[in-house]
Amino acid sequence: MSGTWITTRAWLLMLPLLIVMVAVIGWPLADTVQLSFTDAKLVGTSGSYVGFDNYVRLVSGNAFGRTLFTTTFFAVVVVTTEMVFGVLAALLLNQQFYGRTLLRALLILPWALPTVVNATLWRLIYNPEYGALNAALTQLGILDSYRSWLGEPGTALTALIVADCWKNFPLVAMIALAALQAVPRDVIAASYVDGASAFSRFRFVTLPYLAGPLMVALVLRTIEAFKVFDIVWVMTRGGPANSTRTMSILVYQEAFSFQRAGSGASLALIVTLIITVLAIAYGTAVKKVAGSAT
Amino acid sequence: MSALVVDNIRKSFGEVETLKGIDISLESGEFLVLLGASGCGKSTLLNIIAGLAEPTGGDIRLNDRSLIGVHPKDRDIAMVFQSYALYPNLSVRRNIGFGLEMRKVPVAEREKAVAEAARLLQIEPLLDRRPSQLSGGQRQRVAIGRALVRNPKLFLFDEPLSNLDAKLRMEMRTELKRLHQMMKTTVVYVTHDQIEAMTLATRIAVMRNGQIEQLGTPEEIYNRPATLYVATFVGAPPMNILDVVATNNGLLVAGSDTVIPVPPSLLAGLPTGGSLKLGIRPESFRAEAGGLPLTLRCDVTELTGPELILSGSVGSQRLVATLPPRTRAPVGSDVTLSLDVEALHIFDGETGKRIN
Repeated sequence: MSGTWITTRAWLLMLPLLIVMVAVIGWPLADTVQLSFTDAKLVGTSGSYVGFDNYVRLVSGNAFGRTLFTTTFFAVVVVTTEMVFGVLAALLLNQQFYGRTLLRALLILPWALPTVVNATLWRLIYNPEYGALNAALTQLGILDSYRSWLGEPGTALTALIVADCWKNFPLVAMIALAALQAVPRDVIAASYVDGASAFSRFRFVTLPYLAGPLMVALVLRTIEAFKVFDIVWVMTRGGPANSTRTMSILVYQEAFSFQRAGSGASLALIVTLIITVLAIAYGTAVKKVAGSAT
Repeated sequence: MSALVVDNIRKSFGEVETLKGIDISLESGEFLVLLGASGCGKSTLLNIIAGLAEPTGGDIRLNDRSLIGVHPKDRDIAMVFQSYALYPNLSVRRNIGFGLEMRKVPVAEREKAVAEAARLLQIEPLLDRRPSQLSGGQRQRVAIGRALVRNPKLFLFDEPLSNLDAKLRMEMRTELKRLHQMMKTTVVYVTHDQIEAMTLATRIAVMRNGQIEQLGTPEEIYNRPATLYVATFVGAPPMNILDVVATNNGLLVAGSDTVIPVPPSLLAGLPTGGSLKLGIRPESFRAEAGGLPLTLRCDVTELTGPELILSGSVGSQRLVATLPPRTRAPVGSDVTLSLDVEALHIFDGETGKRIN
């Protein structure tokens, strides 16, 4: 069998999938790129070619910079918190104790909830009139009067971050727990005999086994956090005073609220580009970490 | 003064008692092998000595200091694991020096100790590699190096050679023996391989069901096994066990007319008419006359090169004899072999305990 035939056959076998991918990803993407260079509205005319005007206007406007900062801040805080709490929870659940299986099952619940349900629950908790958080804090004497956690620009983003961490740290915990169970018992035993402290044991023995899986969790969570939309939309719609507006919300506002399809497309492409760069950077890092741990 | 004392050590997991009162006392520099089939409790005992498991009862003393409740790192022991248990992301150099690093030994001193261990184990060129870049034999050397470098009072080995291929295993066995002769540190070594046990040990403890069946030098274990279990566990091919009955003329092989004419002095100590087990090692048979004669029917012969393995039968009972390669033993014929009185191991049929 000649090499050409093998190559041809491979392409033939992949062709159906290629067609589907071009149809559902390639074509809309090309359409978006084309749209981003026009001043098209959501309804009405298809708009006329305006070159890089949309990009220039967006990037030089102050909404873009502020939103990019908010999004980055949200992503960094959320992912860091989730990684730390996820690993701590995994280390805890990897110990022998009574009720461990039940606790492990409970842990996954927040993550198993649909985002919209989780967001609605937290909105109830944060409710300025009958929310549990207000009740708890005033009854404990920490707070004098009820506050509108989601209604004040100073607290809304923090409240959102807490809600997102609550939902997503179990994923990191589960990945870390699975990785912990793959740490050979003999290696742990050897570190005891060698006199490693708990921290050294974590640093030199456990962490290398965790690094690869955690890197994957980091990539997944960063990309998800960067394009976060649903939890924000349900809880604050980007408000108050745009204090919780993330990139995806901005895209939505531009394209649908202001009905500017052209510049909405430009913005969507910018977000896509940022995420692609992140994904590639992380992908390289994952390969490096995975290579060193084995 | 004994270096290591294991005093009535017990261990239970719930209802199951894995160690039923183990007593061992070792002199400094001894090489003790815990030998037994899997599940006999030998690894549990080793883990208790290491401090990786707590005993349910009893005491362990190293140089007269009780180790109960002492953290593994403070026991002055080093352990080599079956799976090598190297730290995958650390270089060979740091793997070997890890114990010293954790004990905050100064860098210069640590480097010197690592270099010395590497020289002894001939792994100097590997010091900057990661464990994943090493072969099984090299990893095992690193694991031994990591134990050696600490210069502990007691070495523990948990089946260290069982993941190696046959040729490497023999090499490392010799290497371990050489190291022990040089370092003269007390060793407790767990294995299920009787050849390892016989070749390495100064004393062997044969374990079964959480108890010590026999504790003795390799010669004692081999030449005077205390129980039927020890007799059949040590030796390859395994010892022949025949059902016999003591009569006035000698030992009557059950299910046949054959009587082995043992001297009256031996017979006097045996219960007449009771059921006995007679153990004979395959290599104790001789082809030439001169001892106690035993005639058996030759069923199969196998020439391995240095010896001839004869499988035969006396009545309905089977026997194996290893003989010089030139022995004439036509298949299907009766062959008369001879035995020395010392080669007879007589056990109680009920308890399995040695009688003679």
